Amino acid sequence: MNVRSQISMVFHLDKCIGCHTCSIACKNIWTDRRGTEYMWWNNVETKPGTGFPTDWEDQEKYRGGWECRNGDLELKSTGKARTIFNIYHNPSMPTLDDYYEPWTYDYQHLFNAPEGPDQPTARPISMVTGELIQIEAGPNWDDDLGGSPVYAQNDPNLKGLTPDQQQQLFAVERLVFFYFPRICNHCLNPACVAACPSGALYKRGEDGIVLVDQKRCRGWRACIAACPYKKMFYNWNTGKSEKCILCFPRVETGQAPACFHSCVGRIRYLGVLLYDASRIEELAKRPDEELVEAHRALILDPSDPEVIAAARASGMHDSVIETAQQSPVYRFVKEWKIALPPHIEYRTLPMLFYVPPMSPVMSNKTNGAIEHVSEELFHDIDDARVPMKFLANLFGAGHEAKVRYALRKQKAVRWYRRALTVGDVEMSVAQRMLTEADCSPEEADAIYRLTSLCTFDDRFVIPPSHREEAIQMMQDPLEHKQDTGFGFLSGPHRGM
Amino acid sequence: MAPSSNKPHAARRGQGIFLLLSSVSLLLAFPAAARAQQPADYFRQNCMSCHTIGGGRITGPDLKEVTQRKDRAWLTQFLQNPKVVMDSGDAYALQLQQEARGVVMPTVPGMTPDVARALLDFIDAESKLPKSQFAGLTITDRPFTSVDVAAGRNLFLGKRPLANGGPSCVSCHTLGTIGALGGGRLGPDLTRVYERLGGRKSVGTWLMAPATPTMQAVFRKTPLQSDEILPLLAAIEDAASKGRQADSSAQVNFFLLGFGGMMLGLAVLGTLWRGRFQAVRRPLVRGEERGAR
Repeated sequence: MNVRSQISMVFHLDKCIGCHTCSIACKNIWTDRRGTEYMWWNNVETKPGTGFPTDWEDQEKYRGGWECRNGDLELKSTGKARTIFNIYHNPSMPTLDDYYEPWTYDYQHLFNAPEGPDQPTARPISMVTGELIQIEAGPNWDDDLGGSPVYAQNDPNLKGLTPDQQQQLFAVERLVFFYFPRICNHCLNPACVAACPSGALYKRGEDGIVLVDQKRCRGWRACIAACPYKKMFYNWNTGKSEKCILCFPRVETGQAPACFHSCVGRIRYLGVLLYDASRIEELAKRPDEELVEAHRALILDPSDPEVIAAARASGMHDSVIETAQQSPVYRFVKEWKIALPPHIEYRTLPMLFYVPPMSPVMSNKTNGAIEHVSEELFHDIDDARVPMKFLANLFGAGHEAKVRYALRKQKAVRWYRRALTVGDVEMSVAQRMLTEADCSPEEADAIYRLTSLCTFDDRFVIPPSHREEAIQMMQDPLEHKQDTGFGFLSGPHRGM
Repeated sequence: MAPSSNKPHAARRGQGIFLLLSSVSLLLAFPAAARAQQPADYFRQNCMSCHTIGGGRITGPDLKEVTQRKDRAWLTQFLQNPKVVMDSGDAYALQLQQEARGVVMPTVPGMTPDVARALLDFIDAESKLPKSQFAGLTITDRPFTSVDVAAGRNLFLGKRPLANGGPSCVSCHTLGTIGALGGGRLGPDLTRVYERLGGRKSVGTWLMAPATPTMQAVFRKTPLQSDEILPLLAAIEDAASKGRQADSSAQVNFFLLGFGGMMLGLAVLGTLWRGRFQAVRRPLVRGEERGAR
């Protein structure tokens, strides 16, 4: 057992209101520089929709992530031979248009325009070329199905849905969508790190944050093709790749990352998971239907004495093990099993998990009156407006079992709480539903508390970084002992 | 310490080499007797390709008794830099140029007033002989046969290497009869070389000892053999008689071939990589619009 710690995340999609506050918080801190205008390290997508960059989930086109070839895990986008033959033209590279051409407006024109018969307008200007442009797309062009039917109908997750289901999904009366906020998943088996020819990308040993060494990056851009979530970005100004850094300067000082901190819906949870690094390769090779379970098997119980002993042996500080024991992520993912990894079939083992969203049941329109197919408006999972298959494509590698389990448990908790607080549901029915959903009343209570009543400290359990220890690797704290004395960085000298 | 002491040391060594070289050059310069024999060699290397002594005009005039035609001062000055004298509008110089059909005598390398005087003395001496060693090449006047032409073409194209190892003509020159692509473009087209240099004899003499700096550098150590010159002349005459100058059409053909080859290459690469990633969003949107219509 090789125990490591990873700062992991849970996004509770049932709570996301799609306000994009997270994206703006991130943009204002990190990507408001020249060359990064088009980057959105954090973005919120509307599902069904093609997201950012357009259609990123279609790995037939973008060729991101890993695949099992002859019993080996190999990158889809590149390999040694492919790298050599394509070194000056990396294939599978999204174009700027697939992201969007960032723009601003010619506001000065409003003030400086010569007198004329019409009101002056602020015309859009490209932030890359500075020329006037015709805006064709934006980073969130299909927000709230704004781009439908062009964008929503091309969502790769619609694969496997019957034409009837697909048609129903977009019928106006049944129109449904949910939000899918995304940041870098800080994967356990990151394709970007594996693809980098310069060795510039690395996964931090102490907390698993994946970073780009800006000094070593040579701009080959192999990471951009390799990342299946398209969360690697190329800064055209510096000629280096950049990505979400999980606000490590904030995390190291005990603060939640900006997108987490600013989240209006409080959908984001952050905490430490302990995992067994020695089994990553073995488990990442499992067949698609076993992947979700295999991913969970990697995560270790931080209260298990054996795990604690192994964690100490690998140099982990006791305080990190303690925060791992309080981790909200561990409870969502491993104890309650209601948070699922996105697109686990890319085999990068993402460490950001999603609680799948509930949706109202389907309805029919007869003679102008809308009738719901089920009386249980918010609780009939298989008749929900978002088809189970769609969610399974997103969170279960196409297999519905794990997603159904998570939704059933959420549904049972709702009924249980309704029986307790409203009283229009028989408690015996609610109890039966809990049992069917593999949930005890205590667990239901805990889920309810962490979902609805969670405080800042419940949501973010950030491990101490022990920078005072880390700094000792670089500097000797006793270097100036018996030398400079108080208040001096360099020794005092006689005279002026 | 070591690096700083290096520099003066190197300078000292440089001085030593300079002293050695200058003493060697002094040794070479002093024996005037040895230098006196050199005008013959000098004439062979630099003058013979255009001038004879008593052999009649080739590219340049016959130099027999040249000192009686014009005074030595003028000749010495002319030899220093022919072009300057011609440009000055000197009547005699212009007449010479006209006789040579516009060919300007090149400035001869290593020509000093001393060398010029020695050279004129040498020409005087040779003029008095009944037959000078520079009376010029005797080249047969017989019409060339197709066998000669074929052998000449083989030599020109390098199918038969030159006996002394010199590069074949086609590396730098072209000829009207050697195919659509022609030969090298570094040197002039040789199809009409007879008109420029003045006939079989002049060209033959030129081939014996080429006078331009480029040709000299290439052929000084690997001269053409006399049995190679005749077939080459045959090939040149053949090209002149067929009258096609390789020039413009060959250049266009060459460009077209290159352009066509490039387009073909691009087409092949485009076909090989037609499945490559180009764009996602635009085709997606365009496809939807087409589908809707």
